Amino acid sequence: MLWYFRAIGTRKIIEFLLLIVFIVFFVSPLLNLVVLAFSGKWTYPDLLPHQWSLQWWKFVLQEDEIAKSIGLSFLIAALVTALSIVLCIPAAYAFARIRFPLSKVFLFSFLLTHAFPKMGLYVSIAVLFYKLGLMNTLLGVVLVHMINVLMFMTWIPTAAFRNVHSAQEESARDVGASPFRVFRSITLPMALPGIIVASVFTFLNSLDEAQGTFLVGIPDYRTMPIVMYSIIADFPGSAGAVFSIILTAPTIILLLAAQRFVSADVMSSGFQLK
Amino acid sequence: MSKTMKMGMLGLILVIPSFLLLFVIVVIPIALSFVESLRNDAGGFDLSRYQFLFTDKAMRSNILFTLKVTIVSCVIVLIVSYALAVYMRFSSGRLVELIRKTYMIPIFIPGVIATYGLINLLGNHGWLSRFLLLIGITLPRIIFDQKGIIIANLWFNIPFTAMLLSSALAGIPNSVLESAKDVGAGRLRVFFQIVFPLSYKTFLVAATFVFMGVIGSFTAPFLVGPNAPQMLGVSMEQVFGVFQEREQAAAIAFFTFLLCSVLGYFYIRSMVKEETARL
Repeated sequence: MLWYFRAIGTRKIIEFLLLIVFIVFFVSPLLNLVVLAFSGKWTYPDLLPHQWSLQWWKFVLQEDEIAKSIGLSFLIAALVTALSIVLCIPAAYAFARIRFPLSKVFLFSFLLTHAFPKMGLYVSIAVLFYKLGLMNTLLGVVLVHMINVLMFMTWIPTAAFRNVHSAQEESARDVGASPFRVFRSITLPMALPGIIVASVFTFLNSLDEAQGTFLVGIPDYRTMPIVMYSIIADFPGSAGAVFSIILTAPTIILLLAAQRFVSADVMSSGFQLK
Repeated sequence: MSKTMKMGMLGLILVIPSFLLLFVIVVIPIALSFVESLRNDAGGFDLSRYQFLFTDKAMRSNILFTLKVTIVSCVIVLIVSYALAVYMRFSSGRLVELIRKTYMIPIFIPGVIATYGLINLLGNHGWLSRFLLLIGITLPRIIFDQKGIIIANLWFNIPFTAMLLSSALAGIPNSVLESAKDVGAGRLRVFFQIVFPLSYKTFLVAATFVFMGVIGSFTAPFLVGPNAPQMLGVSMEQVFGVFQEREQAAAIAFFTFLLCSVLGYFYIRSMVKEETARL
């Protein structure tokens, strides 16, 4: 055995061990939840449950509040995504293709959403919403969710539109296509991957948002992450684990579906201009 | 109307709606919270809310605690993420390929879920302690302690930071690195004279995101932090929600803005420079 390790060299071994530690660090909390969700009896200090069971799935799915929170979360996420597409995609197109006064100022103004610590910003918004009577309303919750997504929902599509070569648009114009036709059959399809990544990220971001909702939406707007807060406090570990899987499932499904488009380059264009 | 005028109008019409939304949910709240934070109990205006931050003993220890956790988290996150990004850029092999494909997944995992997983893993009778028991080690207290918050911060921030950094490193052309090697530059020299200078701007952007992310965090410190001292995010929520002292909460919020203002200013300035250089 020893000769084998010597042959591959200590550097390689250390490198390998570090990578393993790294992977274990990120995977083990999630793996732990999966094991917990399917466990029946699991006493300390056993490494694995004595009994596997689905009892907690039944328990969780029968809770009224949980079913309601799933519906509410998806409703809010859909509203946020739709609203941000309607507002941000036209702006992104304008930033990429049209010269207009103060365009730089407008483009940079979106930085403001990420230039302040989040909880501070939420508290400031809550102070405003309190005065406007928007606390504990659907509109208030949707607006809070918009803060996180506004910047990358504008910037990722802006980068995507910029990457479409204008030569292609011009040649389409030359053969007689109308501006609208050019947009629909050349510009939009080529920028679509970026728009899809931004929209998926927006949807997931809204599904996942807990802090702002906790501040503005309590007591009536209990989305999945908010219910999770109370499950952690009040229910046995397995119930929380089952709910965690339910809450993570849409993330995994959407990510798998959009996998082709998600890359470090596209994603990071949402947080810095390059 | 000339064509440029028309296009200019069109551009403005497309941009104004999203800008207005931005104005309502970011600019007005910040201005309002600043005004509110100056209002004292009697209804007049002074700095008493800020004075409270430094005179109240619990508040003062909250501030120090927040700064400590933030700085420690930032340093570890940046070192590990940079190492990871460099490693992914310059190494090859099956394991690296696997990491390259999967390292972004934690960015999309809901924060509450990851935190809950960590609680179950690192808790008193958690999975890790069961494994460590086999080799006779007792796990120190991690959950409901600052260690727990820091570990959660690492979990949340390393993938995102590594993503930003690796997109910057991908922009460094291989030809530049090879020509440096050809003229005899060693590994370290290549790193300090080429790789780091070409990516330090993104490095600072990443540092800004981590710093502000940790100072403004709520979920992790709320679920795994100690009862006292608290991170400012948790303390703000309590002052606002439980004690209903909106003016005091606004003052804490504005104080966190001040703590981040240098980095926030830098972030905006470097983005503006980058964009102006393009044109």
